[in-house]
Amino acid sequence: MGPVVSLHLIDYAIIGGYILVMVVVGYSLKKYMRTGEDFFLSGRSLPGWITGLAFLSANLGALEVIGMVANSAKYGIMTVHFYWVGAIPAMIFLGIFMMPFYYGSRVKTVPEYLKLRYNEATRGLNAISFAIMTVLMSGVSLYAMALLFKLMLGWSLTGSILFAAVVVLLYVFWGGLSSSIYNEVIQFFLIWLGLLPLVFLGLRNIGGFAGLAQKLPEAFLHSWKHLGSAAQNPLGIEWMGVILGLGFVLSFGYWTTDFLVVQRALASKSLAASRMTPIIAAFPKMLVPIIVVIPGLVAVAVLPEFSQSAAQTGEYNSALILLMSHYLPNGVLGLAITALLASFMSGMAGNVTAFNTVWTYDIYGTYIKKGRPDKHYLNVGKYTTVAGVLISVGTAYIVQSFPNLMDYMQLIFSFFNAPLFATFLLGMFWRGATPWGGFFGLLSGIGIAALHYVLYKTGVIHYTSEMGANFYQAWWAWLTDFVVTIGVSLFTKKKAIAELRGLVYGLSPKEKGAIKFYLRPEVWGSVALIATLALNFIFW
Amino acid sequence: MEENKKAHLLDLKLPLGGLLCFYGLIMVVYGLFSGKDAYEKSLGININLFWGALILVIGAALLLSSFRKPRPRKT
Repeated sequence: MGPVVSLHLIDYAIIGGYILVMVVVGYSLKKYMRTGEDFFLSGRSLPGWITGLAFLSANLGALEVIGMVANSAKYGIMTVHFYWVGAIPAMIFLGIFMMPFYYGSRVKTVPEYLKLRYNEATRGLNAISFAIMTVLMSGVSLYAMALLFKLMLGWSLTGSILFAAVVVLLYVFWGGLSSSIYNEVIQFFLIWLGLLPLVFLGLRNIGGFAGLAQKLPEAFLHSWKHLGSAAQNPLGIEWMGVILGLGFVLSFGYWTTDFLVVQRALASKSLAASRMTPIIAAFPKMLVPIIVVIPGLVAVAVLPEFSQSAAQTGEYNSALILLMSHYLPNGVLGLAITALLASFMSGMAGNVTAFNTVWTYDIYGTYIKKGRPDKHYLNVGKYTTVAGVLISVGTAYIVQSFPNLMDYMQLIFSFFNAPLFATFLLGMFWRGATPWGGFFGLLSGIGIAALHYVLYKTGVIHYTSEMGANFYQAWWAWLTDFVVTIGVSLFTKKKAIAELRGLVYGLSPKEKGAIKFYLRPEVWGSVALIATLALNFIFW
Repeated sequence: MEENKKAHLLDLKLPLGGLLCFYGLIMVVYGLFSGKDAYEKSLGININLFWGALILVIGAALLLSSFRKPRPRKT
């Protein structure tokens, strides 16, 4: 298959402008990187709107956009569950209930919290699994980008991989987390500006939602109506699996414990700003289905060749690029491609910065060289960036064997992240959870996830769809962690109350000085929750 | 040295606004000079022109807000 679109000078100018700005921003941030905290946590100095948009964009990477458009073409409007069930409640929970412990305890990383709350072993388990997972994700991101540009523009896989890797390396090396966050905010604007023309033209072409409804099967048009049983809907899963697996475990596991997103909130300038970070992010997050779900539906409706071949092969990832080539003339086309490029690069940059922070503080600074001066760790962080990019390039070639990138991502999440949420929940809200309870709970949760996966793959356990299997796997992993943590805690030695101060609910100093009513995270969190509920009913 | 450590980094609105202004400008100019047949795909709508104009407005607003208020010095 030849390239789908051809670019003109204007498109290259738009792409080039983005790359140039990113490199210049990275370079001008270099002089601010004086300490480890500057490099790894932006000196904890950023305002809420920047960390909030970055929080959202850190997740709105390559896989998110292309994978979600593919999901929408495959499953229809049910894809909104990944947003309204699978993200918003967890984001609000993080802002209201968990950020006080993360930010208030001044930890630098999520694993460091585990060290303070539980013990060294728990931190080690989490830090190492997170580091591995992050590098994998970074490779996934790179590969997805290279594949897209190959299909779309005919660029060579290796060429795209190396080019993106060098740009990301340059600006992360210079500006650390700040570069990453600035890129994410720029990406936030680009992704909306780049994809909205597609939504506008698609809807206009097909005659709005009414026109869409005429062309699509009934099951594609509702988010909840057909979730009564797994056999009746294209997702192949019923409401219970959606709520428990996606809405509760996967979502909370990802949004509240994944250092990639939590790191953005930790970079905020104050506790109040850190709590508002995920809540500010929740509002645009609610609307992301506009730019991913609608294009997926339009693709099925206006591209008959695509829907036929996709139904046969199960390969939906080309939905977005085919639609772009169908509707976008040069100019806005370049903008849309730049938006994708930006989300790929920031996805990778985000993973690389999270990786270098965890590696430097939780692995290198704990097990390899302890107690060196700050300057030493700053340098280690910089060189870890180089290593992280190199490993990502290697990983990019490994992920080719998985057909649906999104399912792959869910798979990885459910091994490591799903049980983690139980560990944090008990850690933050039950002072009786003991160090070894935390460790064995987490370990057995990961073990059950892996076991479940093996049983499913060997046909011992059966589900209607791969997605269903992932959701339930997450649920069982979470439950195992929860039960084992409590069980082991009853028989092992507790931490002294003094050691838990600031880390556990009820043992933290009250926030001093009341924030104005209309600035409180609780207020905005409730507004976001009500708006999300309303959306669920509208698209029932 | 110490007091501008927290003069928090570079103002993001500057590069962001600049980039969007650049995009808006070239898209508007391209929209003005590209022929009608370039817009067959986009249902006959000169989308570069009007989308470029919108981007230009957003970019200019960001630049303006970045220039207008010199950041107060933190203590």
